[in-house]
Amino acid sequence: MRQAGTYSGILSGGISGKTGPHLLPLARIKKIMKKSGEDVKMISGESPIVFSKACELFIKELTQRSWMVTMQGKRRTLNKEDVASAVMVTDLFDFLVNLVSESGHSGEAPPPLELDTFTSS
Amino acid sequence: MERGDEFSRFPKLAKSNSGLGIIQHGDSSNSINNVNNIFNITDNVSNAGNIFNITDNASNAGNISDTSNTNAVSTMPPPGPVLREQDQYMPIANVIRIMRRILPPHAKISDEAKETIQECVSEFISFITGEANERCQSEQRKTVTAEDILCAMGKLGFDDYMEPLTVYLTRYRQSENERTSLRGDTFLKRGNAYGPMMMPPHGVAPFNAGFQEGTTDATSAAARAIMGGYNHGAPPGGAAGSSSQQAPFGNNLDPFDVFK
Repeated sequence: MRQAGTYSGILSGGISGKTGPHLLPLARIKKIMKKSGEDVKMISGESPIVFSKACELFIKELTQRSWMVTMQGKRRTLNKEDVASAVMVTDLFDFLVNLVSESGHSGEAPPPLELDTFTSS
Repeated sequence: MERGDEFSRFPKLAKSNSGLGIIQHGDSSNSINNVNNIFNITDNVSNAGNIFNITDNASNAGNISDTSNTNAVSTMPPPGPVLREQDQYMPIANVIRIMRRILPPHAKISDEAKETIQECVSEFISFITGEANERCQSEQRKTVTAEDILCAMGKLGFDDYMEPLTVYLTRYRQSENERTSLRGDTFLKRGNAYGPMMMPPHGVAPFNAGFQEGTTDATSAAARAIMGGYNHGAPPGGAAGSSSQQAPFGNNLDPFDVFK
């Protein structure tokens, strides 16, 4: 995580210049949230903001794990198969298994309820 | 007539980045169809007064579809997928930017991998939102809040994310409070949230000089945050409390010299 500069962070509010600008567009996040279910009606203003940070963490973790697979193959180009391998290996990403195994379109991932009970941490 | 004028009567919907102003969801599609009917009518009906009677006088609306249903779909194509493909995903440039932050500089990313991760992000959002929404509904609430999202993440195995997100949310709320009110007191309670980060280097004397009890502008509030929960009501106690929390100021610099 980037640190605020010594003086720039402190003098501009003390917290790395507050929390923005966000890396991901909030309106787009909201759209995707609404699309996730017919019954998603109202979304608080803070939700997309939390998600923008959550997605950032998610992308970083997924990328990092995928890159580890790339390195194991002694390659320098992260490709789709590396992402798929990372998903398969990581319990946390079980909800993505269908997505990465289907080439092209995104399918509906079944809720991994059974897996949660087996892999409770 | 500008297209935009008519739309102001209908519920405002989020603009997509790609410029398409209107997105259809459920019931609002009828409203848009009626608007299109209006446009068709102005071309073909001499009496402008009929515009507002369209739904009652389907016979006047010669250009609407042939069904007698007054809510008939007109010349608009059937809704189909609710969002266009690029609106379903995070912009790929943003995704790539985040990826590059943690990849080594020489790393390359295939286009397919970029798209896959883009899709995974959207799936992640849907996944978490679904769980959060379920929780909301079971508690008979209509609005999905940030707390719901955090709980959903914890439940679905993303508990490692909860702490940084909680910190992030707290900071955001406090910066919003700063903007809207003058109270800086909220910083005091959250001092430990800033513990590992707010370690001013030695020799940051100006903040002592500028620090005044009772001022609440951003600079002093930030200085208070840096002090780590300094309680302006009781300097000795505050100093003892916060120094135990941020021990390594070293022997040279004691930020509370001014107040002893």
